[in-house]
Amino acid sequence: MHCAARAAPELPAPACAAAPPPLQAPPPPCPASRRAPRAKSLEGLRPLTAMAASGTRLVRAARENVPKSGNKKNSGRSAFLKQKAAVFPEHDNDTPRVMLRRIILTQPQVSPVAPQLYKDEETEAAQSELPSKRVSSVLDMQLPDLVPEDTSVATFRMTKKRKKLSISEFERAVDKRLPQNQDRSMLDSTALARSLRMSLGSLIPPDTVEKRGLRRRPKIRKAIDMKAFEGGVEQNMLKRKAQSCLVDSQTASEIQAPSLTSDAEIVLSNTELFIHPQFDEQNQNKLSALEPQLSDSKTSAQRSKISDAAQEEARLVGLVSSVDTNEGRTQTHSEELILNHEHFGGMTHVSCKTPVKQQEAANRWSSSLPPRSPSKSLESPVTLKPKRSFSMSLREVVSRIIEDLDVSDTEEEMANTANKVEQIFREAAEHRANAGYSGHLEKQLTEKAELQITMAQDGKVKTETAALEEEGIAEGDVEHQGSPEAEQEIAKDVGAASLVRHSDAISSSEKNGVKPLEEAVEQADELEDQAIALELDGLEEEPTEDGAEDPESAEVSMRTPTFVRAAAYKPLLSTPHHVKPAAPKLSAPRPAKPVAPKSSLQPLQAKPVPKSSGTSRRKPREPEIASRLIKGIFRHYAKMPVARDAFKVVEKCSERYFKQLSNDLEAYTRHAGRRTVEMADLELLMRRQGLVTDKMPINVLIEDYFPMEYRKLLIPVAVCGNKVIPSK
Amino acid sequence: AAAEPRPRLSPQRLRAAVHYAVCGLCQEVAEDKAVQFSKQSLAAIAELTFRQCETFARDLEMFARHAKRSTITTEDVKLLARRSNSLLKYITQKSEELASSNMEQKEKKKKSSASKGGRMHREEEAAVTESEDSNMA
Repeated sequence: MHCAARAAPELPAPACAAAPPPLQAPPPPCPASRRAPRAKSLEGLRPLTAMAASGTRLVRAARENVPKSGNKKNSGRSAFLKQKAAVFPEHDNDTPRVMLRRIILTQPQVSPVAPQLYKDEETEAAQSELPSKRVSSVLDMQLPDLVPEDTSVATFRMTKKRKKLSISEFERAVDKRLPQNQDRSMLDSTALARSLRMSLGSLIPPDTVEKRGLRRRPKIRKAIDMKAFEGGVEQNMLKRKAQSCLVDSQTASEIQAPSLTSDAEIVLSNTELFIHPQFDEQNQNKLSALEPQLSDSKTSAQRSKISDAAQEEARLVGLVSSVDTNEGRTQTHSEELILNHEHFGGMTHVSCKTPVKQQEAANRWSSSLPPRSPSKSLESPVTLKPKRSFSMSLREVVSRIIEDLDVSDTEEEMANTANKVEQIFREAAEHRANAGYSGHLEKQLTEKAELQITMAQDGKVKTETAALEEEGIAEGDVEHQGSPEAEQEIAKDVGAASLVRHSDAISSSEKNGVKPLEEAVEQADELEDQAIALELDGLEEEPTEDGAEDPESAEVSMRTPTFVRAAAYKPLLSTPHHVKPAAPKLSAPRPAKPVAPKSSLQPLQAKPVPKSSGTSRRKPREPEIASRLIKGIFRHYAKMPVARDAFKVVEKCSERYFKQLSNDLEAYTRHAGRRTVEMADLELLMRRQGLVTDKMPINVLIEDYFPMEYRKLLIPVAVCGNKVIPSK
Repeated sequence: AAAEPRPRLSPQRLRAAVHYAVCGLCQEVAEDKAVQFSKQSLAAIAELTFRQCETFARDLEMFARHAKRSTITTEDVKLLARRSNSLLKYITQKSEELASSNMEQKEKKKKSSASKGGRMHREEEAAVTESEDSNMA
């Protein structure tokens, strides 16, 4: 800072950081009293400057002005004194004393933030100089500083006699300067103010910061997204329609009617939490959620429209999906989606971008499915499921997702698949909201076993019919445990069985009412949550899937909030958001409520509820060892960085190992004619493993590796008082 | 006669016996697959077999004691062989055959107990034990 001052043309010599300025500082503010000694101290100052090792002219100039008494202080003074000194030569037509006085008088207000290095006299001068110096335009400040400096100099002169700095003097000087500074409005508005601002960390936002560049994504982008999304969705729908016209027509016709009505309802956007309302709302919310995500600037009206469009799309997708039951191909699914969207769009006459966008999203969703990594063998059934759901209703979609999840469960050992299926199910529900997701889900589904295709088909038909019926019922009903249960069952079951059940459940749910949809949605949410959690765990295990999902996620990410995106690159993660809005939309016939409030409420409400029901009903997943634990242990013993794929392999190996171990243990227990595993069984196992030998009894191992708490349980410990722990 | 060969069953002799058996089996496999076995490989396989037999014996004894028995039975053998599915299936099959044959023999014995008496029993038992041994091997 001071360097800038020193850089003043007057003072070519760079003032040393500390010494010279301090030397100069005291002089300016030096009170009159200083002047006398100053002349004498000039000589003394020189040695000071020499001490400072700054042979700048400024210093010399300052020396004349700076009282020698301030030597000690000078050392600590900032370079601003030099600045003053630099100025001095210009105006130095007077004696140093005069100059100093001028400086003191005219010096700008001392900045309260000025470092306390300066002693009273110095500080006074330094304060004014410091703030000014901090400002880049020190030169500019010099002139104005001169004026105040004079005054400060005068003050310094007054106290020049005292070479030692005293806090009281400093404070007094500060007080003097403060009022002076306050009077100097000019100073405030000029360099001092600037310096103050800068010293204070520029609390006042600079002009440049006030730009609107900080605004979030421009609306334009969102509009484009919607268009592309809708276009994609339409394309998907077209494809699907082409593949299965009959089914589509049937389902579409059936769905169209409810969808149309639901659209109207959706517009109304009810905020109910229960199945049908939720579905509609969820869909709406999801869609709206998507929308907001996509475009923050979208208005609620747009959202409502979007939700409607999303619902429509979802329905269309469902229709399409139902059509594709037979094929169960991702492409077909996507086509269905497109067809659905298109069909839906035609029906709903939603010209707004939202439907298009949704279609596009649907397209993306469907399209994303194909790219999904084939890690999941569920293909046809999966695709079928989502298709069905779309055509049938949100419930169907959810059920489909669940089915898919189930399918995936069977396919994959990892629980993630189950979650994924659920997520897929949810995604299917959300499909409308997230065309991209639907595609992803479809992909997932398609990836799953083909076996389920046929089953799924059968189930789909049932579910479709059931869904359709349910849709009609759902609207009117409030709580349907059947469908959610069915969905849950589906989620649990793997493969066709689940589908069948789902279909049955759906049919049963029809009787029950719309509730199943709710629960399905909830389940979907739960599944999603679980799936997400599982997915997170299994993220490593399925890099391919992730990669496949990435494009989907990319698409979806556009709609999903950044945090969701950041949370996981897996699109499934975002599904919950999408599922929720999609769910309500699927329900369609629900009375529409304001989408915005619903979206905010539903996700919160849907999540906790589905979790409880979903986890309890869902197929009990084998508990897994925390991947974090395995990673930590492995990394510790590997003593070198380990790749993610390696971790996955290690996880699989460890799982297999422990599975085999437990199987052996069970065999040993059964061999002994018991049904409870006991120490003897474990000892036998360890003996077979080679850990326990004739030389190494198990007790020694226990003592070596177990903490005291566990050891106490296994090996009796005798304590004083004739006590044995554990007591026999 | 049964007791005489016992003293000859020292570890070295046992190893030699195993080696001889392994060589014979490997020769059959070589003819079957049109491959040849080097001496070192044969020796390695024989040594491996011998050590594995020791392990098997120890495990079998452990299993029997785990079940609070003092006799090694087919159950122990099955437990030992459960790792390999095919082997387990084979052994189970054989054990079932043995069990059925035993049943038949028991029925026969009952029928002819009056006439034949103990001789049949001994022969049947010997046959049964031999078949069991073959299973174990």
